[in-house]
Amino acid sequence: MGDGTEEVVVRSHVEETKKLVEDEQVVKNKLVGSDEVKNDNEDEVFEEAFGSENDEQEEDSKRESLFEPDDDLRLEETLQSSKDEHDNFEEAIGDLDETSSAEGGVKDLKVDNSVVGESHREAEFDSMTSKINGDKVEAGADNCFGQIESSLDVVENTEKVNSNGSNLAAEDVNMKVDNSVVGESHREAEFDSVTSKMNGDKVEAGAENSYGQIESSLDVVENTEKVNSNGSNLADEDVNMQNGNTHSVLENGIVSPKNKEHSEKAEVISESVGPVEPWDDGIEVENWEERVDGIQTEQEVEVDEGTNTNHVEKDSVCIDNESEAKINGETGVDSTSSIVKSASSDNSLNDNIVVASAGSSSPLEKSSSEEQAETEGDSNGLKPEHDLASSPNSNMESTEVCSNSGSPEVTCREHETVQNANGGHDVQQSPQPNKELEKQESSSVNIDPEIAENSHVGRESEVVNSVSPTESRSNPAALPPARPAGLGRAAPLLEPAPRVPQQSRVTQQPRVNGNVSHNQPQQAEESTTAENDEHDETREKLQLIRVKFLRLAHRLGQTPHNVVVAQVLYRLGLAEQLRGRNGSRVGAFSFDRASAMAEQLEAAGQDPLDFSCTIMVLGKSGVGKSATINSIFDEVKFCTDAFQMGTKRVQDVEGFVQGIKVRVIDTPGLLPSWSDQAKNEKILNSVKAFIKKNPPDIVLYLDRLDMQSRDSGDMHLLRTISDVFGPSIWFNAIVGLTHAAAVPPDGPNGTASSYDMFVTQRSHVIQQAIREAAGDMRLMNPVSLVENHSACRTNRAGQRVLPNGQVWKPHLLLLSFASKILADANALLMLQANIPGRPVPARSKAPPLPYLLTSLLQSRPQPKLPEQQYDDEDDEDGFDESSDSDEESEYDQLPPFKRLTKDQMAKLSKSQKKQYLDEMEYREKLFMKKQIKEERKRRKMFKKFAAEIKDLPDGHSENVEESGGPASVPVPMPDLSLPASFDSDNPTHRYRYLDSSNQWLVRPVLETHGWDHDIGYEGVNAERLFVVNDKIPVSFSGQVTKDKKDANMQLEMASSVKHGEGKSTSLGFDMQTVGKELAYTLRNETRFNNFRKNKAAAGLSVTLLGDSVSAGLKVEDKLIASKWFRMVMSGGAMTSRGDVAYGGSLEAQLRDKDYPLGRFLTTLGLSVMDWHGDLAIGGNIQSQVPIGRSSNLIARANLNNRGAGQVSFRVNSSEQLQLAMVAVLPLFKKLLSYYSPQTQYGQ
Amino acid sequence: MAALQMSREWIGIQQFPPATQSKLLEILGKYKEEDVSSLTVLVMGKGGVGKSSTVNSVIGEKAAAVSTFQSEGLRPTFVSRSRSGFTLNIIDTPGLIEGGYVNDQAINLIKKFLLNTTIDVLLYVDRLDVYRVDDLDRQVISAITDAFGKEIWKKSALVLSHAQFSPPDGLNYDLFVTRRSDALLKVIRTGAQLKKHDMQGSSIPVILVENSGRCHKNESDEKILPDGTSWIPNLVKTITEISFNGNKAIHVDKKLVDGPNPNERGKRLIPLILAFQYLLIMKPLVRSIKSDVSRESKPAWELRDSGLASRRS
Repeated sequence: MGDGTEEVVVRSHVEETKKLVEDEQVVKNKLVGSDEVKNDNEDEVFEEAFGSENDEQEEDSKRESLFEPDDDLRLEETLQSSKDEHDNFEEAIGDLDETSSAEGGVKDLKVDNSVVGESHREAEFDSMTSKINGDKVEAGADNCFGQIESSLDVVENTEKVNSNGSNLAAEDVNMKVDNSVVGESHREAEFDSVTSKMNGDKVEAGAENSYGQIESSLDVVENTEKVNSNGSNLADEDVNMQNGNTHSVLENGIVSPKNKEHSEKAEVISESVGPVEPWDDGIEVENWEERVDGIQTEQEVEVDEGTNTNHVEKDSVCIDNESEAKINGETGVDSTSSIVKSASSDNSLNDNIVVASAGSSSPLEKSSSEEQAETEGDSNGLKPEHDLASSPNSNMESTEVCSNSGSPEVTCREHETVQNANGGHDVQQSPQPNKELEKQESSSVNIDPEIAENSHVGRESEVVNSVSPTESRSNPAALPPARPAGLGRAAPLLEPAPRVPQQSRVTQQPRVNGNVSHNQPQQAEESTTAENDEHDETREKLQLIRVKFLRLAHRLGQTPHNVVVAQVLYRLGLAEQLRGRNGSRVGAFSFDRASAMAEQLEAAGQDPLDFSCTIMVLGKSGVGKSATINSIFDEVKFCTDAFQMGTKRVQDVEGFVQGIKVRVIDTPGLLPSWSDQAKNEKILNSVKAFIKKNPPDIVLYLDRLDMQSRDSGDMHLLRTISDVFGPSIWFNAIVGLTHAAAVPPDGPNGTASSYDMFVTQRSHVIQQAIREAAGDMRLMNPVSLVENHSACRTNRAGQRVLPNGQVWKPHLLLLSFASKILADANALLMLQANIPGRPVPARSKAPPLPYLLTSLLQSRPQPKLPEQQYDDEDDEDGFDESSDSDEESEYDQLPPFKRLTKDQMAKLSKSQKKQYLDEMEYREKLFMKKQIKEERKRRKMFKKFAAEIKDLPDGHSENVEESGGPASVPVPMPDLSLPASFDSDNPTHRYRYLDSSNQWLVRPVLETHGWDHDIGYEGVNAERLFVVNDKIPVSFSGQVTKDKKDANMQLEMASSVKHGEGKSTSLGFDMQTVGKELAYTLRNETRFNNFRKNKAAAGLSVTLLGDSVSAGLKVEDKLIASKWFRMVMSGGAMTSRGDVAYGGSLEAQLRDKDYPLGRFLTTLGLSVMDWHGDLAIGGNIQSQVPIGRSSNLIARANLNNRGAGQVSFRVNSSEQLQLAMVAVLPLFKKLLSYYSPQTQYGQ
Repeated sequence: MAALQMSREWIGIQQFPPATQSKLLEILGKYKEEDVSSLTVLVMGKGGVGKSSTVNSVIGEKAAAVSTFQSEGLRPTFVSRSRSGFTLNIIDTPGLIEGGYVNDQAINLIKKFLLNTTIDVLLYVDRLDVYRVDDLDRQVISAITDAFGKEIWKKSALVLSHAQFSPPDGLNYDLFVTRRSDALLKVIRTGAQLKKHDMQGSSIPVILVENSGRCHKNESDEKILPDGTSWIPNLVKTITEISFNGNKAIHVDKKLVDGPNPNERGKRLIPLILAFQYLLIMKPLVRSIKSDVSRESKPAWELRDSGLASRRS
């Protein structure tokens, strides 16, 4: 803690590293898309840094093998090429380079922090403080690269420089924060914040956020730097950069804001480059505390406990933050507190400074958090300890520092990509210098892996659309509320919890130089509050799922910070939240609890994991399907042969991977050639049969990474798969790229292209192909890399490691399990959703019940035998037979009457005319009556005749049928009125048809309202009446019309049986187009005609429309009260899928006593329809009143309960038109003046 | 075709390490001895196997465009380099497989492009690190055979690219190469419908190639294969051997390009067929008709009608 000591150390540093580092700006670009130029810079910087380190090493005998210059160089090379066999682990690249040089001391800090936010965030920060020359202090913090989904990243770099003497310590803080946020829809944000230089008094802090894609995220970067100089001049700078609240709405938006800070004048320039608007919002630069005092300036990084990087002890590297904290004498429980401590220690050591910065960076946080998690079970619980690097020893000096700094990244890496479980592992590694070297190397290499992961994340996220939020607040303190821009998903989650505590911490921490960490109590409080949230059953179940998943992840060696894990947790949380009726945040607590529980269970080792996953492997022949399966189980389950088709038939194997039950289905290889697709189909069909009983949870589609199918050569294959299994097979598919250790091909300029670029491109190609094959452009299958080669590099645990540092197997399995888990969760939630009983059938698919009901309610005549064709009408018409005789004679008895010609009419006087007309009317009426009578009589004769014929012996029947049979079926002649003159355009002239004696009556359907020059005949109508068994009439009529747009079909078959007295049952089958689909209706109706005045009918119908079946029931009653009044009432209901429509109708008719002759007729109709609670009532009334001798007035009105209605009047007149006009016009006008109903009139 | 193209000085040869250069020059000297002034090499194969890269490697400069994920288009590339009076022409062709089919259009283009060229050597390129051969390979082979005749296989070599890799399952590298090349050669034999005895005289040599910039190098900075041979001179040497292997070079002339004229086919058979028809079909027909007529028995009504008619008349 003593300042003096620190200073001393610093100086030594400075001297050592002087030569190498003079003015260096370290720029790290870890961006995939970043400029090459920048990369170059980086490389150079790295080299230099390394070189310096090496020198230092040489000087320090202590570090023996830390850095070998060659290795370093290679490292850099590897950076570009992304891998050489060289790098042992290219897992994470975290580079802390500290070089403190010259009087003031130069410090380069590179801190790569990968922060996994609540929901997956990974941020890597490189904070590099470059130099302090005399007055000049440059601190550079690069936060290189991060992936955040919807999250907050808080990076705090606290740097303290203590310089003795009059010299001002100016700090240049170069902050590069690259936060790439990968949202559900891939957002990546990368920020480079570069603060460049302070010379003397001048402090420039430049923060460039060069590149970012963020969906909704907040990045808070706080750099607190304190320079304590003893003496008259004190330069204290605290640069707090907060990039807060960056919301980028756009999914793929690339935003590159640049923030430059002058510490004194804090300028924040945010440039958003990129298609998107993303976030300008939020970069706040705050200058924290400036303390002139040379004494320990406490740098407090709120979130991150700045894990006391300053530990003299060499062991510190390995040591967890807590331990470090303890060492400091501070209870390191809270990360924040530890920071403080570290700061103090840092003051003494220049290295500390570096360390501090490192500590500030998130990794440290993680480590601390991990510790916490372990102890507390906090959400923070990053169990793996990254901290190794965090604590630099004063002894270690700059090189050490560097290594340390590097290590955090490494740890992060391992965390994410590799087994987090190995936290201990890492620790162990770190202590050893060599390992540290490796780590650094790896750290440098790491860039790529991260990128890869990022891409991963994005994909996954997309894949798992349905998923839910994980409220893991892994970076508890640090996380500023991430505000999801568009989706609003994370907002509720994050908001309440993190912010407040953070601030409190911020404020508190400063004072706490020490020791006590408030964090814990706070968190505890939070958790309690969170716990207050209601638990419902669903939540419990979800919690179980979550625990299960965490256990899975744990077994696979993944921490909750793994991108996939975090994503799944996030989605689970989201689902829970969406489901939660209170809608409030689902406490971060549930995650804490889950993780604690999972840990317990895992630790206990009991309680077998109830989980199994079935993976089906598909792919071309020779890509390594069987080999992959062997790799998954780590033993040879299936024999493979490089040259022959190893797998001939579908087979499955079960086994346990890390205690997780996994079943894998191996399939024969598919063939890419078009000509082989038939074979493929056969293979796939056998696969389909195989998986029928036991469908796989996951489909793993394998292809080779190193086969660049630049054309769409696999399309046939993919299409075939889609055809056989249906496109839905791709929904749960993971793309596996085998031979992942292959070196990427040379780029266009002859240099090797980056591995990650290669992987990304290759996976894009396949994903795109799958999308096309599945016909769903939204698909985004996650990609996992696979390497089965026995020569594949392995890490210490014997796991195969890819060139990008990824340990592929856990990743692959994790992806699979994640999909399964999410599917489970979805199933659970769906299940739950249905319980509340909201009928949620897809409404769009619901059949049009009202329509069906109306057609059901319609009363239709029952088919009758030909000879009975006219019977019932007689009855219904209600003519009294008795009256026949009288009236019949009546007309004949009249004296002969001679019609007058027009001329004669003109001569008549008015009264004469009237008499004449009356007389004529009377006669006409009688005549019509007579005609009707005769007609009826003829029919009666017919009937009698037919009956007689039937009685005749069979021998005669032949003749009878010849004459009577066919003739008895009245064939309505098509009434075509031919135009008077020949017109070739007239369809009736152009198309004639014959009226054949065929019993099938086939007629064209003429659409008169067609387009010009249209033929007009758009359909065909066919009818026929059969008689089955001489008793059962079956009528058939069908009509098909087709025009340019759509085709319609209508088909009706009906038959009826009479049984008993007055009872008849009819059965009918209808087929008709409704919308785009065919509706098949089967209906049945029974009539009871027992009473003359009351006829009842009941019917049933079943309709199949599309895939829905609806059933209906109706009752109808016809009341014939008198000769002139009758009424039909009907009511019915139609139901389908729990949806019911009720309807009823009433129709009353009032008519003239002698109906066909009298013209007075009034009908009243009412209809009621109730569907989905909306009641539709409609009524109409129509009345026809004769006016005078030759005119009719028809009035009609209808109205429904929505207020819509229509009134129309119609006047028919056979007299002069003007008269009608005269009568109507005033009325019309009058009506118009009131309101404007629709008025129709004609003659 | 070749004449049209200005052949440039072969500068790329100087890119090679001295050891390679000297070997190459030695080989080229052989041509001089034989008084051969030019050599035309045709490179064919599926897409993405490394044809263009191989060409570039041999030439020593970036003569043909290479891109990892995009095919280079349909047009063949003609690369001509001359050095001290000797001209090396290499024709790089687009990949013959497009979307699971053999790209006939590309083959036709290549044929037209090669009109009036003499192909001294065909290099059929495929990858070494692919394990299986499938129907596509066979189709490609037969497409080439159809296009240039099976004689071309006598002037061909099988080039296996991506040679620097470690075989799977712990297989020995040499064994793997043997098996892979055997598999491919078998496909070539069947696809080209070569009889056993066709192959007797000259078997198709196999050349391994590693175009990657990551290719190992020996102490004299030559790119070498895992088995230690420096592959560029080896490739050129094999090409040379093929060109001198005594088989006739394939000259692509109009006839080859257009394929057989369908109008010419079977022309001579026409008179024969006519004679056949006349003798074996016409004759019997006529004969049987005549016999029918003579043996005709008229039905009663016809007799009556004809009787009536005759009576009336």
